[in-house]
Amino acid sequence: MFKLSELVRWLGLTEFEILVNLCGLLVFTITLAVKLSAAGSTGGVLPELVGDWFTVFSPLFFIDICNAYFCVIVGIRMYLDSDNKRKALHRFMWSTYFLVLIAIFKYLLCLKLSGKTGLEYSEVFSPIFVLLQLVAVRACQLPNSI
Amino acid sequence: MTLAHRALFTWFIVLVFLILLCLRLDPHTTWNWFVTFTPLWFFDCILIVYVIIKFIRKWRNLNRLTHLLLLYKWNIGGVLLTITSQVMICLTLEYPQQIPIYVTITPLILLLSTAIFYVGSRLGKREGWLR
Repeated sequence: MFKLSELVRWLGLTEFEILVNLCGLLVFTITLAVKLSAAGSTGGVLPELVGDWFTVFSPLFFIDICNAYFCVIVGIRMYLDSDNKRKALHRFMWSTYFLVLIAIFKYLLCLKLSGKTGLEYSEVFSPIFVLLQLVAVRACQLPNSI
Repeated sequence: MTLAHRALFTWFIVLVFLILLCLRLDPHTTWNWFVTFTPLWFFDCILIVYVIIKFIRKWRNLNRLTHLLLLYKWNIGGVLLTITSQVMICLTLEYPQQIPIYVTITPLILLLSTAIFYVGSRLGKREGWLR
């Protein structure tokens, strides 16, 4: 449906960030499977997970930190090198929104799965819905000629 | 379809899926997981049609089938692995404890590995990819 360059244009992420996110997702999938299989062997009907959910989500938090570092470096370099300071600032702000909202969602999901909060799933997913609105605005700003 | 139309269509599908997922995760609803994944099935159908149309457009130029398959190997592999992953996740959620978790995540891991390889190869070909 989409080429990689089109995704980069729409989501405002570089190929490198997409690659880092995919690697983190791969590691997260493996840790999740290990946790779920450990829970399954204890005999619970629903997977009561052994250990902490924050451990399972640690690869995702780690890639968030990596992406934040990458975005800060790119933001500073763009600001210093480029004549268009506004563009650099715009890119930095978008990356910040993206990373913060995703990180909040993961944190709330961890709390919910650990049973440390009484929030409903609709409230846990609220950062993702806010992010979706921002992504929709970006989609509307795309040129109609492509 | 232009990029804006495709992006908005995908956005709408994801939005509907997330709303259905939130409703399903609430303890009050007990829908079938295959029903919850309906927007994604719809998106998969569109993807299949999209790939078939691309395939047929090239087919008119009388290319060999193996050449066409090689040309669209990423598209075909991606769609097949996506659909397999979704089916396995739905089956595991609907019938817990009956399917080993490693069987469930195998297509997902293959899909992610393929995507990593694809993005990595594209990244390797580019110069100045940090911009």
